[in-house]
Amino acid sequence: MTEHIVLQNVYKTFSKKNHSETVALEDVSLSIKRGEFISLLGPSGCGKSTLLNIIAGLEKETSGQVLINGSPITGPGNDRIVVFQESGLFPWMTVLENVMYGLLIKKVPKEEAKMRAMNWIQKVHLGKFADRSPHELSGGMKQRVAIARALVMDPEILLMDEPFAALDEQTRMVLHQELETLWRETGKTVIFVTHNIREAVVLSDRIVLMKTRPGGIKNIFSVQAARPRNSSDSILNYLETRILSELEQEMEKVLKEELGSDYALKKDRLHIDPHNNLGSDI
Amino acid sequence: MKKTSVYSFLLFIFLLVIWEVTSKSYSELVLPAPSVIVLTLVDGLLSGYFTQHIQRTAAEVILGLFFGGVAGFTVGVLMGEVAFLRKLLFPYIIASQAVPKLALAPLFILWFGFGMTSKVVITALVCFFPLLENTVTAIQLSDIQKQELFKMLGATRLQTLIHLKIPSGMLGILAGLRVSVVLAIVGAVVGEFIGGSEGLGALIIATQAMMDTALMFATLILLTIFGMILYLTVSWLEKMWMKRLKKEI
Ligand SMILES: Nc1ncnc2c1ncn2[C@@H]1O[C@H](COP(=O)(O)OP(=O)(O)OP(=O)(O)O)[C@@H](O)[C@H]1O
Ligand SMILES: [Mg+2]
Repeated sequence: MTEHIVLQNVYKTFSKKNHSETVALEDVSLSIKRGEFISLLGPSGCGKSTLLNIIAGLEKETSGQVLINGSPITGPGNDRIVVFQESGLFPWMTVLENVMYGLLIKKVPKEEAKMRAMNWIQKVHLGKFADRSPHELSGGMKQRVAIARALVMDPEILLMDEPFAALDEQTRMVLHQELETLWRETGKTVIFVTHNIREAVVLSDRIVLMKTRPGGIKNIFSVQAARPRNSSDSILNYLETRILSELEQEMEKVLKEELGSDYALKKDRLHIDPHNNLGSDI
Repeated sequence: MKKTSVYSFLLFIFLLVIWEVTSKSYSELVLPAPSVIVLTLVDGLLSGYFTQHIQRTAAEVILGLFFGGVAGFTVGVLMGEVAFLRKLLFPYIIASQAVPKLALAPLFILWFGFGMTSKVVITALVCFFPLLENTVTAIQLSDIQKQELFKMLGATRLQTLIHLKIPSGMLGILAGLRVSVVLAIVGAVVGEFIGGSEGLGALIIATQAMMDTALMFATLILLTIFGMILYLTVSWLEKMWMKRLKKEI
């Protein structure tokens, strides 16, 4: 009953012009509860974005079923909004106009749209910047606007595709806290794509570790640490190490396939020291 | 920046002086002195001699620019938006690009007569293509992720076009307009060369017959000023647009 998003045996293949096929997702089954914060973690090309786009309704699964509140997805809608890595703000609009645009499309009266937009702009601490144009904002501020622009639509599901990947470490940490707060206040279901193990561990209720060739789910980890999260929490550190070692296996497999006989030469270099690289990207 | 514009101006004065000095050793028919040209220009303007010609050429350019521009923009938007139309019309666009449009001027005069219509048509035709081409490209270039966002927000195709694709392509479209504006004057003047008794182009032909070279130069100056005004107007539009994108600059 509390299942919000259900994926049942989802496959996605992309066929190219030369008739070769990429299996981006193979037999993915996953249930996501209402209000859950889920991360999709995995190496490049494992189908994270593809999975997110299917849930957003921007791509159609090749086979299988994707249910939201028990009914299949028919296309994109403003109950599910994606925040991309590049904020994709409209440079010809001010921050306020950017945030209220979706409401105007929905035919919300202008004054009301403005109030609701301002409310979210304040929640992401950009009240002073409402009349600025996007190019005057830092990368972190732009992503905040993108988050406000998504949340103002009051979606049930917030989809985030590496939203903080282009930001520096400090900004990212601040935004982690803000996102956690917003998520706790709003109770949205969040699906968060990332390359960064630490990010996934700090934010998520569950982490879906994905694999490549073919893309799919390798393992699912529950993060039982108390909220608000404290990044020095030993549970988090332990989990990071575990995920990292699973990833190492996965990456070894990929390298073996890619390098063939050269693999033996490179193997020594692959070993990742978990104590030095905890926060690093994979 | 300021300094170089001072140098540009000094260079201009220097060239004028050289011209003035050189012209002393030639007949006025070949190379009239700048001072003589300016006198002719001022004289013609004050006496109202130029008025009807200026009005005529300006009307042709503005009407041609308007019709050609609106048509180029509209067809460009349609072709940018509707893949079927784009594929259907593309061969024709390519083929018509290869046709030297100005060489069609005599044909249009045959069809539309010696009056203003033929010149407006020629002008419209030369303005049409640069705007068309730039609009088609600009409309298609808009960011995929932004388009996806518009889909999620529930925007209609028309809303996406007006609020996303056209604004994202605005700089490209304005660049097309800049080319069109310059060509518009060429179009009108060439039209007037071939047939017509009014307009600055016709006046140039007449001055040639009258062997009034100073008047010819004065007319050329008028055309240059007119071209600069149009060009600067488009540059100003571009600046205004940039200003919307970024508050400074
Ligand atoms: N539109 C497409 N057409 C063809 N192949 C595609 C398309 N989109 C994705 N793919 C392929 O599907 C696979 C998964 O891609 P996807 O973008 O989902 O990976 P990802 O996990 O998001 O990677 P990254 O971390 O680099 O963003 C890749 O092999 C990719 O080449
Ligand atoms: Mg991706």
